[in-house]
Amino acid sequence: MTNTAQDEVIDQTRLQTTSKASRFKRIFAEWPEFGILAALVVTVLCFSLIDPAFFSGYNFINICLQASVTAILAMAQTTVIITAGIDLSIGSAVALTAIVSAMLMKVGMPIPIAMLGALAAGALAGLFNGLIITTTGITPFVVTLGTMSVFSGLALIIANGQTVYGLPPMFSDVLAGKIGFVPIPIIIALAVLTILSIMLRSTKLGEYLIAIGGAREVARLAGIKVAIYTAAAYVIASTLASIAAMITVARLGAADPIIGADLLLPSVAASVMGGADLMGGKGSMLGAVFGALLIATLQAGLTFLNVQAFYQQLAIGIVIILALLFNRLQEY
Amino acid sequence: MQVSANNSLLVLDGVSKAWPGVKALQDVRLELFPGEIHALIGENGAGKSTLLKILFGVHQADTGTLHIEGKPVKLAGPGEAIANGISMVHQELSLVPQLNSIQNIVLGRERSVAGFIDWADARKQALVALNRLNFTADPNVSVRRLSIGQQQLVELARALAYDAKVIIMDEPTASLSGHESEKLFEILKDLRSSGHAIVYVSHRLAEVFTLADRATVLRDGKLIGTVLRGKELTEKSLVRMMVGRGLDDHTTLPHTPPGEIMLQVDGLSRHNDFQNVSFDVRRGEIVGMAGMIGAGRTEVARCIAGADVMDAGKIHVRGKQQKFKSPADSVKAGIAFLTEDRKHQGLALRMSLAKNITLPAPPTWLSFINRRKQNDSAKSALEKASSKVNVSRRAGTLSGGNQQKVVLAKWLLTKSEIFIFDEPTRGIDVGAKAEIYALMRELTDQGAAILMISSEMPELLRMSDRIVVMREGKKVAEMKRAEASEELVVAWATGANS
Repeated sequence: MTNTAQDEVIDQTRLQTTSKASRFKRIFAEWPEFGILAALVVTVLCFSLIDPAFFSGYNFINICLQASVTAILAMAQTTVIITAGIDLSIGSAVALTAIVSAMLMKVGMPIPIAMLGALAAGALAGLFNGLIITTTGITPFVVTLGTMSVFSGLALIIANGQTVYGLPPMFSDVLAGKIGFVPIPIIIALAVLTILSIMLRSTKLGEYLIAIGGAREVARLAGIKVAIYTAAAYVIASTLASIAAMITVARLGAADPIIGADLLLPSVAASVMGGADLMGGKGSMLGAVFGALLIATLQAGLTFLNVQAFYQQLAIGIVIILALLFNRLQEY
Repeated sequence: MQVSANNSLLVLDGVSKAWPGVKALQDVRLELFPGEIHALIGENGAGKSTLLKILFGVHQADTGTLHIEGKPVKLAGPGEAIANGISMVHQELSLVPQLNSIQNIVLGRERSVAGFIDWADARKQALVALNRLNFTADPNVSVRRLSIGQQQLVELARALAYDAKVIIMDEPTASLSGHESEKLFEILKDLRSSGHAIVYVSHRLAEVFTLADRATVLRDGKLIGTVLRGKELTEKSLVRMMVGRGLDDHTTLPHTPPGEIMLQVDGLSRHNDFQNVSFDVRRGEIVGMAGMIGAGRTEVARCIAGADVMDAGKIHVRGKQQKFKSPADSVKAGIAFLTEDRKHQGLALRMSLAKNITLPAPPTWLSFINRRKQNDSAKSALEKASSKVNVSRRAGTLSGGNQQKVVLAKWLLTKSEIFIFDEPTRGIDVGAKAEIYALMRELTDQGAAILMISSEMPELLRMSDRIVVMREGKKVAEMKRAEASEELVVAWATGANS
């Protein structure tokens, strides 16, 4: 029993320690989203102090609307990163499924069928990623680097390189509309957040994704079908990409086959800023959403202050690195 | 060996070190003489690692002094320790796997001309050190292709090339076979006769008796005493010093005669690993599997557990033939595999104990996990494994003994009846060992069948009802408890009698 006794002693001293540093650490341990939320609040306050007009409900709803697509993609990315993987093809999957939904509507399919078609295309794209990764053993980074080009190529081929216009207005009315004063994309993002958080926190699927990412061999030896669950993560990610795609199409009223090029970086950045660990086994859906909100706030705030687009990109990159540094500090 | 304060090589005195809330070391003294092998022993958590790390400059003591050859020295980091003639061979070897032996030995101190490394000089330096250690492998191949024993020699050679007077070795034989350990001991004795002081940490007391000139025992961060080779240095006295009480003999006999065959293995083969291995394990029985490292024992276990796929052979579980494509199949058939490498294969270190224990089958309703039920069943399983640690703790924060109990609790929950233990007490201290042994016997008394792979001879002889010996991928002998002796098992395992 000497061991147990010793472990218990360490346990108790941990509970009794009340120095500021360790209290801070405990907040982090129990609530890993704390860091990114703090960064978000500070950013909002800074912009509001510089220009009080920034601090308005209208502006905040607008930022949330801008963040909704990034947030959905960041949560998709988090699902994959938790398994110690990464999905570099996520932006291309958005482009591909956007084109699929638009082309289906263009040839006269009813809107629900077009939406189901886009979801199915997303699921298939994810299955393709998942199957290659789990059957060949090639690292996710390389596989999705390849499929990034494959999906983007397919999107260009189907659309013949052109932006698809002339979609039924009903599509935009529904997916880009509002309920009361809340834009529907925000509601969709919140719904995704709720479902994925519950998935991660309370279901077998979520528990197994974390176990696989944190200790793949332990999971395998425990009898978990690692290949199936890993593939499932990629299917979830690409299916979410198709939802993000339809929101984008609805908001623009058109589908552009090169729409996904700028979506990959924010999806990974927001996910990692929100606490996801690229080594696997750790990640937060709420954190990913806060990360997406931080990026959108920076974009909105800098635009509000009339900062040129080039400088905006520079500033956003710096803030992302600062946020990651901050996350890194909490581990020590 | 002369014992006078004047010619001591190194003296650490009055060393204390506290971590927040824990006193890791209190007023510890360690004195080293040139030409001695000094064993440092104690249970896990006794403060051995902390002491070694202070000696190597990794940690700084809160109080205490260090004198090397009579001069006071302060070590701010490992670099200064090396400069003062102290080197360390780490338990988990610290070589760059992709570099060859020569590159590893000179790493960080390469002589260069205008930025170009003087390889001729490096080679000369490295070979001098390697030859002293009777290193027979090719020094030009990358070290990842060397055996663990050879890699250790490369680390030792690096220490020699640094002109180390004091060499610290943290459990050097933990991953060596008996034969490799013997070779290492010869080398250490040779270094001793050339005036080096070797600080040696080991959990294997038998080694301490054959090797050490003196032994320092720590318990709960305090110095219990330093004993000289001879009358004081006996297993009973050391164990009493380490745990503060005597330990009964580990031998446990089964309460019931073995029952029906639970696991039968016929002609199992896997290309380069092992060929035509057959044996069985009965209900209520512990079958020990002996052999040197590389004899293919773990590989056989991995096939039975479905972790690797076999090329040929048959596995019957309770009389039914099984074909395992993955661990999922063997888990379903009631086989529990407790791996040697608990940190990478047994536990998800970041997850809570409750989650680890229920990993094979979390209690769910419509795929939603019932957290309360998960905690309750994890807690009761862990209590059956005689541990009362809080199940909300993370697995990575536990000591080796408790980690093994958590892994065991996991497999108790799956209602497994066939347990494969691969090195069940590796890295576990004496007190917790006895508990693990008692648990294993309890399992068989309740009708389980156990296959136990072990490299520790006392463990094999005390625990096994039968012993199967493997050598170079083949089963070479099988004997009953009554027939087995250390000499016989070693003879079969090394091929000395073939």
